[in-house]
Amino acid sequence: MDTFMLIGITGIGLGALYFLVASGLSLIYGLMGVLNFAHGSFLTVGAFVGLWFSTQVVHVSNTWTFIAAMIVGGLASGLFALIVERVVITRLYERHIDQALVTVGISLVVGAVLAGWFGNDLRLLPTPPWFINTVSIGSAHIPVDRFLYIAVALILLIANTALLRYSRIGLVIRAGVENRQMVAALGINVRLAFSAVFFLGGFAAGIGGVLVSAYSNGVSPLIAGTYLIYGFIVVVIGGMGSVPGSFLAAMVIGVIKQYANYYSPGLGDFVVVFLLAGVLLLRPQGLLGKVKP
Amino acid sequence: MLRWKYSRPLLGVLIILLFAAPFLGNNPLSHPGLQQTMAVAFLYGALALTYDLLFGFTGLLSFGHALFFASGMYLAVLFINHDVLVWWLAVIAAVALSTVLAIIIGSASLRTGGITFAMVTLAFAEAGHVVISRDFGGFTNGENGVALNADKVPSIFIGVFNTKYLFWISLATLVVVYFITWWITESSAGRVFAALRDNETRVAVLGLKPTRFKLLSFVIAAAMASFIGVVMLMVSGSAAPRFASADVTIALLLMVILGGAVTRWGAVIGGIVYSVASTRLQDLSQTTALHSVPKIISGPLSEPAFTLGLLFIFVVMFAPGGFSGAYYALRLRVISKK
Repeated sequence: MDTFMLIGITGIGLGALYFLVASGLSLIYGLMGVLNFAHGSFLTVGAFVGLWFSTQVVHVSNTWTFIAAMIVGGLASGLFALIVERVVITRLYERHIDQALVTVGISLVVGAVLAGWFGNDLRLLPTPPWFINTVSIGSAHIPVDRFLYIAVALILLIANTALLRYSRIGLVIRAGVENRQMVAALGINVRLAFSAVFFLGGFAAGIGGVLVSAYSNGVSPLIAGTYLIYGFIVVVIGGMGSVPGSFLAAMVIGVIKQYANYYSPGLGDFVVVFLLAGVLLLRPQGLLGKVKP
Repeated sequence: MLRWKYSRPLLGVLIILLFAAPFLGNNPLSHPGLQQTMAVAFLYGALALTYDLLFGFTGLLSFGHALFFASGMYLAVLFINHDVLVWWLAVIAAVALSTVLAIIIGSASLRTGGITFAMVTLAFAEAGHVVISRDFGGFTNGENGVALNADKVPSIFIGVFNTKYLFWISLATLVVVYFITWWITESSAGRVFAALRDNETRVAVLGLKPTRFKLLSFVIAAAMASFIGVVMLMVSGSAAPRFASADVTIALLLMVILGGAVTRWGAVIGGIVYSVASTRLQDLSQTTALHSVPKIISGPLSEPAFTLGLLFIFVVMFAPGGFSGAYYALRLRVISKK
């Protein structure tokens, strides 16, 4: 029972990390139809800036510096995403395949620059001392950092939902996901919503980058790889453009993957792809996705 | 298409010269080192061409093409090493089974289209990569890969002295793949492929089934890729998980875009140049010329992905025809001046 509990909560923690990557991907795709291969490099940029902040700027590591590192990493990554959107993506307006291709190029260049500067070895990210503690639930000892990932994902989900539901820019984004031409025809500046979505997606991915580095014990240009692919899978299963859908799918995938991996190492990825195939066959629009007319 | 009247005879002469090169006294191609490099380059040229059939001609942005390349490779090495089949039967079986795999994965992925198709094929390919690199089932030997058992294949495929045979087989593979692709793209099915790329709705309105033709293109490209994978197994001597990773498909995308899609020869040139360049750029990065430059510049420059990635972004944004597109634009200008 305690192993069951441990694996379940670890799975939810992993799902939280997937959600941080997938939320931005989903909104960017839903609004602009851009398959953003550069999202992995947003994550890496966030992780490296977080590392820079927590080793070069502050020299102690406690709860507050870690939270600050998360926010600094998120802001830097959001800014980077904004630049990518302004300089590259907008020039390829409505050319979806070319947009996907150019983001592939960006991810190659960013990966190469970071590898050239810092090498591909893992660099240790300082974490607060309580990270290695465990919490006992019943007889299960659960690493406490899992709860942090879940909390951050929940906060971002709530903030995201609140922003989308109650702010003006959120209204424009939601309307844009439904029908972008109509929003533009009403004389609303959709371009601004594009930039906002890229910034928000980059921000979440940057925070995700810092947390992923804490989870995998270090920062390297290669950490983003599997998270990006899982981000794509989460977006497809959850439904394009639906942030709650991404959250649900991320949790389901994280938990299923962990249980399957416990049963037999390597089985997890396999099961997730079967799940993906099943969803595509039975419900091609994803769990909470809407069918676009 | 704009055609130069001497291009076909010249191409014929070039191919004959390449075939004869290992015999013609002391030239660069009579050395096993370059023969090996060129054999690999020809195979990537051929693989890029199969990707061009899929992406350039049919308009399917698949991120899973490497899966079939690797499945041909791994199935062949497993059949041969475990004495399941004689080597030539193993080759046929590997291609046949990879084709079946392509039919299954293609049918599932083609329920979606456009960008979603790209994501779904990526997920399938990644699952394949995980199965191979994690040694799921205990056949693939994980990250180390599987070396081809030299006793089980004819001796002309083995050894440094015999590299010239591998060079020939690779060149022959490229030529055969080129002619098959040429034949398909010029056939009536090829016209439907191009029509699907340009206007799918119109094809459907004309009463043709778009999904069926897309699947045909997907399966043909995958079958050829799996055969190229088998030849790559012979050339490199082992099957390794890196051949199954998404990086291979991304490299194919770079080859086709940089060389120029839809011209056939553009993809081949792209594949050959990319393959040679990515090894040469690595050597270049070790030269002393870079040591005098500060690390902030020399670091990225020592990574081939930096140069190739920047070039790729430039081509996608400003020169979508790639190398062959630029060539045709130049020819058009020269002709119209006359």
